[in-house]
Amino acid sequence: MLQERKFLKGPELRDIDDYDFPGFQKALEMGPEAIVEEISKSGLLGRGGAGFPTGKKWELAYQEEGENKYIICNADEGEPGTFKDRYLLDERTLKVLEGIMIGAYTIDADTGYIYIRGEYSRQIEILEETLQKARKAGILGEDILGSNFSFDIKLVRGAGCYVCGDETSLLNSLEGMRGSSRSKPPYPISKGLYGCPTLVNNVESLACSAEILNQGAEKFASMGTEESSGTKLVSLSGDINFPGVYEVEFGSASLQEIIEDLGGGSQQGQEIKFIIPGGLSTPIVPSDNLQAEYSYEGLQQAGSSVGSGGMMVISTAQELSDILTRIARFYMDESCGTCLPCREGNKQIYRIISEAKYAGLTVDRLNLIQDIGDTMQEAARCGLGRSAQLPIGTILSEYKEELIEGGNLP
Amino acid sequence: MQKEDTDILLEMAHDIQDTYGYIPEKEIAELAEKLSESRATIYGALEFYSMFYTEPTGKYIIRICDSISCYMNNSNEVLEAVQDYLKLEAGETSDDKLFTLEVVECLGHCGEGPVMMVDDRLHTQISPGRAVEILSKLH
Ligand SMILES: Cc1cc2nc3c(=O)[nH]c(=O)nc-3n(C[C@H](O)[C@H](O)[C@H](O)COP(=O)(O)O)c2cc1C
Ligand code: SF4
Ligand code: FES
Repeated sequence: MLQERKFLKGPELRDIDDYDFPGFQKALEMGPEAIVEEISKSGLLGRGGAGFPTGKKWELAYQEEGENKYIICNADEGEPGTFKDRYLLDERTLKVLEGIMIGAYTIDADTGYIYIRGEYSRQIEILEETLQKARKAGILGEDILGSNFSFDIKLVRGAGCYVCGDETSLLNSLEGMRGSSRSKPPYPISKGLYGCPTLVNNVESLACSAEILNQGAEKFASMGTEESSGTKLVSLSGDINFPGVYEVEFGSASLQEIIEDLGGGSQQGQEIKFIIPGGLSTPIVPSDNLQAEYSYEGLQQAGSSVGSGGMMVISTAQELSDILTRIARFYMDESCGTCLPCREGNKQIYRIISEAKYAGLTVDRLNLIQDIGDTMQEAARCGLGRSAQLPIGTILSEYKEELIEGGNLP
Repeated sequence: MQKEDTDILLEMAHDIQDTYGYIPEKEIAELAEKLSESRATIYGALEFYSMFYTEPTGKYIIRICDSISCYMNNSNEVLEAVQDYLKLEAGETSDDKLFTLEVVECLGHCGEGPVMMVDDRLHTQISPGRAVEILSKLH
């Protein structure tokens, strides 16, 4: 039976007096280049959704020249089905802080930001207190732990917009503008906050980095598969008996095992219809494919991706049209409105889908949604517009007959 | 032109809203002055964010998540009960200015749905009855 593999998870770690930041101390001894090498060797891929190699990102940020450099911890966690960063902020607060400090030291940033979603009021309180205590204890501030390294962190509350989790929108938001995305290139690494080199990492990526220095890149790389090192925090929710955040070693389990062994199976033994494995911007995996291995490559083979690790289980008891309507509404509501395909496309898709609940879905309408979705995927500027089609399109094609028959129209 | 990184609009706006419950006109003017931007720019930026209000709201802001995982745990029943009780649709404020109701997307507590927030206070695994009970105690 599948068990959790605990690399990130552990007892509550919030009190500065209980922790002497061994990973950061090691970092100070190693120096930036050795840290970059260690993180690269670990094989860690960014856990915010895009999966960019963290070591590579740190290397590029380290190489950038600039009077000011910034590091940003992305704690905007807003993708439906995802709550693992909240677990880390709640329980492993000092590991997240340590990860930010190691990243900052590596790239030589003197200011860091934690951009946290405004609704995480409890976690905001915890972080405020932690940062204050860290300053008092000399963990943040001038010449930290007697080194020449000086660094402080500002906590910034977001204000209710999912799109601000996108790193370029986040930068605009931090600069006091509307949180709409920027075109890339230039990438934040070279021209980020206030035009300066900026390293943006997800909460989990940073906590992983701290643990990689603490426990060693070798240990991390020894877990998982060739292409998917280490473990992943999976947020399990939906029609499941024991929802929660579970730490899974890549390659050690199938989707089915995660759902059965960790999540206790579907609620009231209902039949599973499909799952959304990585948050609401990943394609669905239908129930006949739940043998797929939980890893980047395993999920890719199954036509989906690891995404944020927000795994939602949908049973046959759910009304498909209501699920679809909610997905479409999410994209419509959260579109920042900057580019036409996403702004108008998501409105159209929502309209067709919500009407379909009563008017039925015809082949024509279904094709229309696919066309709009394809256009968005090609022409939308940021990941939000580009991914709307992934869950919606895969539901439509998988359950086409059911959806067309399901309506009341002849 | 490189801007200073000391004054962050989001934080300033949150602080103002924590004080007044919304961001009044005169504070927008002050923000504009402090940040050397036009009032229209500041207003346009604030308006982007769903958590910022430039008009007075109810004394309590009620947020109910109706995203996918909460929906699977019957958030719609909680929402209906609350709408019935408050006689409000999403986005509306009650005549007595006690409540503003917001139907929101995922609040990051999907494993404990349905989820209702009353201002900063979070209620998880809430039943329709319990939601109404909580609201009935607010004055
Ligand atoms: C619409 C949208 C929302 C996003 N939301 C988040 C988020 O809440 N948290 C996060 O870490 N990354 C989010 N991302 C990904 C970030 O743009 C970025 O890739 C990530 O923070 C980089 O960190 P990583 O390399 O450590 O994963 C989002 C991307 C898009 C397009
Ligand atoms: S794709 Fe959507 S969310 Fe992204 S920039 Fe365009 S309108 Fe905004
Ligand atoms: S779906 Fe409601 S909190 Fe995430």
